[in-house]
Order: sequence, then C-alpha cells, then structure tokens
Amino acid sequence: MRRFACVLGIALFASATAQAQFRLDLNRLLDTARSAQHATGDIDEKQEIEIGREFGAILLGAAPLVANEAMQRYVQSVGRWVASQTERPDLPWQFGVLDAPQLNAFATPGGFIFVTRGLLERMRSEAELAGVLAHEIAHVLQKHHLKAIQAIAQQKTAAGLLSLVGRDRTAGMRDMLVGIASEMYLRGLDRGDELEADRLGVIIAARAGYDPYGLPAILQMLQAINPGDSSVAFMFKTHPAPTDRLDAMEKQGAMLDAYAGQPQVAERFASQTQP
Amino acid sequence: MNRTAVAIAVMLASCLAGAEPATVLRPTELKKEPASDAPTLAPLAEKSKVEVLERKGGWTRVKTESGAEGWMKMLLLRYAGPGASPKSDSGVTQALDTARGGTSSAAATTGVRGLDPDMLANARPNPAELKKMEGFAVTRESAAGFAASANLQPQKIAYPKGAP
Repeated sequence: MRRFACVLGIALFASATAQAQFRLDLNRLLDTARSAQHATGDIDEKQEIEIGREFGAILLGAAPLVANEAMQRYVQSVGRWVASQTERPDLPWQFGVLDAPQLNAFATPGGFIFVTRGLLERMRSEAELAGVLAHEIAHVLQKHHLKAIQAIAQQKTAAGLLSLVGRDRTAGMRDMLVGIASEMYLRGLDRGDELEADRLGVIIAARAGYDPYGLPAILQMLQAINPGDSSVAFMFKTHPAPTDRLDAMEKQGAMLDAYAGQPQVAERFASQTQP
Repeated sequence: MNRTAVAIAVMLASCLAGAEPATVLRPTELKKEPASDAPTLAPLAEKSKVEVLERKGGWTRVKTESGAEGWMKMLLLRYAGPGASPKSDSGVTQALDTARGGTSSAAATTGVRGLDPDMLANARPNPAELKKMEGFAVTRESAAGFAASANLQPQKIAYPKGAP
C-alpha cells in the first residue's frame, strides 16, 4: 500500500508536470510523494479527485463527448441532483455522454461519470438514466476503483520502475498511470462491488425522487440482448450477467415497491436527449 | 373515430410499447392492476411465455399465450437471454470494420470508432475534452431547481444492512 501510494504520487507529479493544463498543485503532490514513505499510504480526497481527472481524460481519449451541449448539460443536471442525495454531495461531480455506439457506463475515483451514447439511446426515461448514474455514483462512494487500482499498481510497481531505468522519467511515469487506468477498465471491478453498486444505486435513485425501478429496467433491457452482440460484449465481460443482477435485486423488492410510484420523467428525457 | 381506427390505434400503441416476448421466471399471478392487493386474473406458471406491453414501477403489463392481459412483477420476467434464439448482431463491430477498411462512406464519415477494449487499451489522455466536460457542469443549487421542475421530491432512505 505504501509503495503504491509512493509510485502513484510520483506518477501524478510527473503527469502534472507533463500536462500543465491540469493545473495541479505541484508542491502538494511532491509532498505526497515524499510523505508516502512515512504515512499510511492512504489516498486522501484531493488525490482521489486528481486520479479521477487523469482517468477521465483517458476515457475521453478513447471516445470523445457527444457534440450536443444541451444533452451534456441535461445529463450533468440529472447526475448532479442524484449525487447530491449521497454521503459525498460536495465532490466535483461531472457527468458526460461518450460518443460510442456500444452500451456501457464508467466512473473514475472522485466523481467523473460517463455513459455511452449507445446506452443513452436505449433508455426510455430520466428514471432509467438516474438509475444507471446512481450505480456509477455508488462505485465512487465506496471507492471501488481505488481498491482495483491498488491491486493493479502493486503488481505493476516493480516491473514499472525497472522499465524506467535509463528512460525519460516523466514520460515513463505517465505511461504507467495510463497503463493502470486502461487495465482497470479492461478488467472491470470486483463482481461483489458491482452487486453492491446495484443495491446502493436503486436506493440513491429513490432518494432523488425517481421511480427506483429505472436501473432494474435497464438490466432487463440488457438481459434481452444477446451477450455475444458487439454492442454489449465489453460491458458483459466486465459485469455480472444481468439476470444474476436482477435476481439479487429481488431481495430489495419491498423497498423498491415503497417508492415505485415516484416519477419516471419520460417526457423531459425524450425532449432533452434528441440528437 | 370508427372501429377500424380504434383497432389501428390500439395496434400502434402496442407497437410503440415494444411488445417483446419474455418468460416467467417463477410461478406468480397475473393481476388486474399493478398492485399486490389487486384481484388475481390467472396463475402464471414457471417458464410460461408472455408478451411484454408496458412497465409501471415494479409491474409489467403482459399478454399471456391464452390472450389474457394483466400485470405481473417485473423482476420475475426474463427475455430471450443467453443461448436462446441468437438474434442477428447489432452490427456495431461490422460498421467499425468497414469504417477502418474505408469501404463504406456512410460509416467512414461518422468517424465514430466506439469504445471497445482495443480503443481503451490504446487511449491517450484527452485533457481538452475533459475541460469541455467541466465547462458543462451544473451547481448543486441549479440541479435542485432542475429536480423541482420535474416534481422530484428528495427522500430519506437508509441503505440496506451491511452497506455503509
């Protein structure tokens, strides 16, 4: 853990110097890298957010935003409202629609959340969008990504540091951070963490005043798609099967039913997500 | 409106609702209304086939093979699913292959390569796009106004036991 924090601290520092656009606090990051040798190695919230911005930039490097400002602002509004109902209401939450035909959604540490255009196009209401965003928000609340990153970083550290010998360190460290991010998204999160994000997600959506069956409805839509289809193959590879996720949700039936009469907000969704 | 027009409207409505075949996961009941205490119209056997008409909260309106229409628990429905009647591919991959090969002008002009494992493995950070996203951000206060305009009422609900 300590070694991880140290490596990550150095990597963040290196990437910060490589990309001035990120306007990171260089002195503080340098302190982090130094102090990691003495401290517990835990990642504080500021570091978590910085990792999130780096990872968000990488996801946006794989697929840019859909060029539709009204749609982007709409998704930001739904997400910000839902995130405000959680235990971390004041993170710098960001929500974006990635221009990709596949069906998927992603989050980074610190509250950067993405849904693909392909998934948005299959939704029928704001409650369904809120349900998907709430699932991703739950990953951020529970710091599931940090857990996954730590596991990968621990494996990569030795090899990564060796590869830096005789190389440009800044570029090397940045490559390592990019490598950790893409490996994490390719592997996916822990299966238990995905089910936990479902459990918390339906509650967060209900807290925000939506019909909490939005997320189950999306899972049922996904369940109807052939898992070998190219639009869902990547998402299915990194998540439990939708039918298992629906089975797990049945245990929450009573809670879900208590709030099932809340609005789905289908009309606003339809008008705001027009291409 | 004459009878034919009504019939057409009903047909259209069920098309729009996206009538889809599904299977009943476990024995349950077909209800007259979307509520547990509504009168039961018929028992639904495990693995019986239904057509899905619409969803309301945790209830889905279905049509059984014998033609009865009513409501059943949404979570007890499963669609075709793994292995059953493989549908044709959505064509996402084919479109991408064509775009890469440059043989289809329609696919090539959209320029969207999508978010597959290949793209992710080779992605380089795009900080300009992140900045654009942050420019679209809304404040907590304006999000609250946005919610109120759709009549969304915040609720206090605890997480299930074992969760934070």
